Amino acid sequence: MPSALILSQTDKRPIYLQIMEQIKQRIALGDWAEGQPIPSIRQLAVDLQVSVITVKRAYYDLEREGIIVTQHGKGSRVASTPGLGARLREQELKQHLEQAARIAAQMGIPQNQLEDRLREAGDRIAEEEKELI
Amino acid sequence: MRIGDSDPAIDNAIELRGVTKKYRYFTLDGINVTLPRGQIMGFIGANGAGKSTTIRVLLGLVHQDAGEVRVLGHKMPAQQVAAKWDIGFVSEDMRLYEAMTMSWHMDFVRSIYPTWDAAYAQLLLKRFGLRPDQKIKGFSHGQRVKSALLLVLARKPKLLVLDEPTTGLDPVARHEVLRELTHVMAEEDRSILFSSHNTQDVEQISDQITFIDRGRIIASMEKESYLDRWRRLRLEVPRGMELPDLPGIIAVEREGSLAVATSNAFVPDIANAYESRGARVQRVENMTLEEIFVANVEHSREEVEA
Amino acid sequence: MNTAVIGRLILKDWRLNRLTISLAIAVGVGALLLVRYGSEIARTLGTVWFFVALIVLGSMLPASTIINERKKQTLAFIMSLPVSAVQYAIAKMLSIWAMFLVPWCGLIISALVVIETGRVIPHGVIPILLILAMLPLLGFCIISSATLIGESEGALIAASLVCNSSYWFVWYLLSRIPTLTENWKSGLPVWNPAVRTVLLSEMATLAIIVAITLLLQSRKRDFI
Repeated sequence: MPSALILSQTDKRPIYLQIMEQIKQRIALGDWAEGQPIPSIRQLAVDLQVSVITVKRAYYDLEREGIIVTQHGKGSRVASTPGLGARLREQELKQHLEQAARIAAQMGIPQNQLEDRLREAGDRIAEEEKELI
Repeated sequence: MRIGDSDPAIDNAIELRGVTKKYRYFTLDGINVTLPRGQIMGFIGANGAGKSTTIRVLLGLVHQDAGEVRVLGHKMPAQQVAAKWDIGFVSEDMRLYEAMTMSWHMDFVRSIYPTWDAAYAQLLLKRFGLRPDQKIKGFSHGQRVKSALLLVLARKPKLLVLDEPTTGLDPVARHEVLRELTHVMAEEDRSILFSSHNTQDVEQISDQITFIDRGRIIASMEKESYLDRWRRLRLEVPRGMELPDLPGIIAVEREGSLAVATSNAFVPDIANAYESRGARVQRVENMTLEEIFVANVEHSREEVEA
Repeated sequence: MNTAVIGRLILKDWRLNRLTISLAIAVGVGALLLVRYGSEIARTLGTVWFFVALIVLGSMLPASTIINERKKQTLAFIMSLPVSAVQYAIAKMLSIWAMFLVPWCGLIISALVVIETGRVIPHGVIPILLILAMLPLLGFCIISSATLIGESEGALIAASLVCNSSYWFVWYLLSRIPTLTENWKSGLPVWNPAVRTVLLSEMATLAIIVAITLLLQSRKRDFI
């Protein structure tokens, strides 16, 4: 089963983090459903041309976060927790918002301005969506 | 962090213990390296550091002066014939017979090894873009390297020992080779040891990494754990302040009020320690394997000279 | 004893040296034809050529099979196969000895045929012929063993110089043994003790050289 993950060489972060992020994205977007089998560690390593140990680390951490489940001899699958995809989307949004708040604080932008900027961004996205249709 | 297999009795593909070899101008000193079965080890070292010598000792082509060598359970050099049935060796200075064709070489290797997989060999010919009826004489450097690799890959040995398999290859050829190497790992009991100057490749596909410098092993461990130990801290230091010597920091470069500290045993406490002494930590960065290698070599050479 | 791999290495050497082998045979056959059918001068020339061919072959074979394997860096490829340094030496010696022995036996057989059918040369010459014919074989053995152990062109050249310039001296020494040469005119070959001793010594020397070669090969600690 093709993994459909793609690693970037220019991404400076450790490979295992990239793998984890992409798997979470797949689940968040609904490409990988709850309970769905995912490539075995070895298979993913071969597909991505990375070391087995890197994939093992990514899977280990994902399992600790409750996102995937690995059963000895049966392979790995997305955790069957209902609403996992939505939860991951929530996490992503929260991370992005916190990042925005952090940068704003560094730049010295007050909170109400930040709110305005967020609204502007929302409007821009809505415009773009209209143009695409 | 324990990521490895839960089976404690895992066999080792390679075991080097206290291996020493003295030459007139160079000594391989107390080499200890272990490669568990089913893993890939990347072997990095400057030219003349001892990579090729270590690899030759592994294959029984050079007899060690002291120490034990076991490859796939066989003692080397005494059991080298038995071991070589299951080892595929390609080195950068190895050549094939120029006057003969690729086909001839394939038939020759096939006549010796019963594990030759003819279908896979044909597939590799296509993937590597090699013409079987062409004489080796007419091959480019990249094609020669790929030919030698094809001859070992097609017989599916339990252990591949490759001395600079991608050196001198164009990006496409390099990618083709890496792809086949990672495909080897689809089978759980096959192992690879490869030496390379391309630290990016090593970082990407190795499970274990080993650094060698001036005849000594300066690091040999699981890649992820190793990468995790190293960090670069970018610091803002008020003028006139002396940066404290912290444990785990092996190098500090200072330029005015900016400093870069390199740590080979990073824990978050180190960043806190700097902050509490008045230096501001701008960023804590991961380091690439190449940066780690260079920092490690410089550090170990300083230690030796001290 | 790993005979399968040794066999493959021998076949490989024969295949790689097809040209050399064919030339050696061609020159040998040509020389023999001269000896059999040619005039007096042609016969002498033929014999000399044959000897020269054997001596040249004696140096060329080790050069092309042993030295080239190192120079052209194919040795690492061969040693990556399941074979030990000693087994490699055995395969090498068997393959080049076979290559040398073909024309060498041809020389002896044809010389015997010439003596038999020509009816000019007395059969008493036969023992001397055999003793002399062993010399290029001994030379070849020394040269190829020295090359195998010495691993260099220097060893090959040194051994070749020593051997090739020694033939005449050895001939001279042998001709000074009266019991060896006294019966050359006789109509039948005479195998007296002198003849037997010399022949056996020559064969024993061959065996000793081979044994020493294998021993030294087994003690090498830096093979590549």
